[in-house]
Amino acid sequence: MSDFFQLIFQGLGIGAIYALVSLGFVLLIRAASVVNFGQGEFSMLGAYLLVVFFNILGLNYFFGIGLSVIIMAGFGLIFAYATYWPLRFRGGLPVIISTIGASIFLQNMVLWLYGPSTVPIDGLFDSDGFQIGEVFISSQYLAIIVIAAALVLLQYLIFEKTLLGKKLQATSQDKEMASLLGIPVVIMIMITFAYSAALGGLAGILVAPILFVSVGMAGIITLKAFAANIIGGYGSIPGAILGGLALGVAETLGANYISVPYKDAFAFLMLLAFLMVRPQGLFGEKISEKA
Amino acid sequence: MKLLEIKGLTAGYGAGPVLKGIDIDVEEGEIVTLLGSNGAGKSTTLRTLSGLVPQVSGEILYRGQSIRGLKPEAIVRLGISHVPEGRRIFPGLTVRENIILGASNRKGVPRRVLEGEVDEMLTFFSDLKRLEHALGWTLSGGQLQMVAVARGLMAKPQLLLLDEPSLGLAPLIVQQVFRIVASIRSLGTTVLLVEQNAHMALSVADRGYVLETGKLLVSGKPEALWNNPQVRAAYLGGAAAKSA
Repeated sequence: MSDFFQLIFQGLGIGAIYALVSLGFVLLIRAASVVNFGQGEFSMLGAYLLVVFFNILGLNYFFGIGLSVIIMAGFGLIFAYATYWPLRFRGGLPVIISTIGASIFLQNMVLWLYGPSTVPIDGLFDSDGFQIGEVFISSQYLAIIVIAAALVLLQYLIFEKTLLGKKLQATSQDKEMASLLGIPVVIMIMITFAYSAALGGLAGILVAPILFVSVGMAGIITLKAFAANIIGGYGSIPGAILGGLALGVAETLGANYISVPYKDAFAFLMLLAFLMVRPQGLFGEKISEKA
Repeated sequence: MKLLEIKGLTAGYGAGPVLKGIDIDVEEGEIVTLLGSNGAGKSTTLRTLSGLVPQVSGEILYRGQSIRGLKPEAIVRLGISHVPEGRRIFPGLTVRENIILGASNRKGVPRRVLEGEVDEMLTFFSDLKRLEHALGWTLSGGQLQMVAVARGLMAKPQLLLLDEPSLGLAPLIVQQVFRIVASIRSLGTTVLLVEQNAHMALSVADRGYVLETGKLLVSGKPEALWNNPQVRAAYLGGAAAKSA
């Protein structure tokens, strides 16, 4: 039984990462109708920035994290300008293709700069963790869960308690009406891109000590975030969070009890199962019932 | 000075403009109605005024200044507030949140002041008071229309563009909506009202314009329009002629 709780804890930790990335993914779908297949690249770039600031330049670890997240927010704006802006009146598909293009470009850019090898990086704490009963609480996993929960709470407060949050929601629900009310729609969309990139970058930084930093992390994180989004319910914010956590737990349990090499396959099996049995996801609306 | 002057306006997308050279004037404090059948260009006129549809030629002067090329965000800041067809209430936001966002064009007003104004709106539209925390998608057509007008008024507009406020509402609710339209004048707001319900529109308006396939057919005082045989034949149709 202690094994089981150990796995649940680790699953929630990795799931919290998927949830953060998926959250950024969903926000872009809602605010700009952009399905961003470069979401995992945000995580990869965030992690590589920390490698530069900490491993190479020797800056303070936490200062390096702060700097990386700020740079990622700025990068979100550049990403929006390059992939979304020129195609914004062309509908969803051209923008999807353009984000896939950006993702290929960014991966190869990093490959060119750093090569294909995996870079290890320190965790947030010197101590590995502590024991509660028979469950070992890893400090990095615990930090991921706590930070993810804090970010979700912060986002809730911004979206539900501030006028800026209401304007962001209004923009995501009806852009034309938002513009008629004087809401600067372009600025709202740009804020969403910056926030989404910063969130993805931070997720990459948090998971880097566990997965290590590599070009490959981008693709797998994008696909997990996408799967979490479908499982939770396409475009649903609580769905993104729960979908991410469920995915993390399922793949950790699957890897332990069934087969380690098939770890990633469990995530996609779960995705397929949802698509067949409950395509609207945990929190989604039944699309077939809409006119 | 006239509040709004539309001179020879041609507007629409692509090769076939919807509006083909229309002239409309609105004086400060008036309620002016735009009538016409489906596809006459009434909504397009309002959408051009609020910057959603590009002007091809002609001029729109608001307080003597051209608004050509301005984005919707900029036009609402000038004091033109558009309550569009279909109400367009944000479905995932509450009544209160929808209304307060109507003030998004007014920069630098503290939230506390805006919340106070929302309270005044909820007193003015007393039916909405008990619904202030209801989400937009749960409201009925009449309630949606009240929220839409309240939200439009939060912009503190000098000119309110109202598109088909009676569409899809039960007759009793329609009367209520028109009483509100008439009372908006007392707030010092000028109204340009687009309607298919000519009878109700002419009962509250000072003047009216009748559009037909993108051109101005006739304009004048409500009584004159009501008794104009050309208007009856072309727009009000047989049913209205019989009931009069």
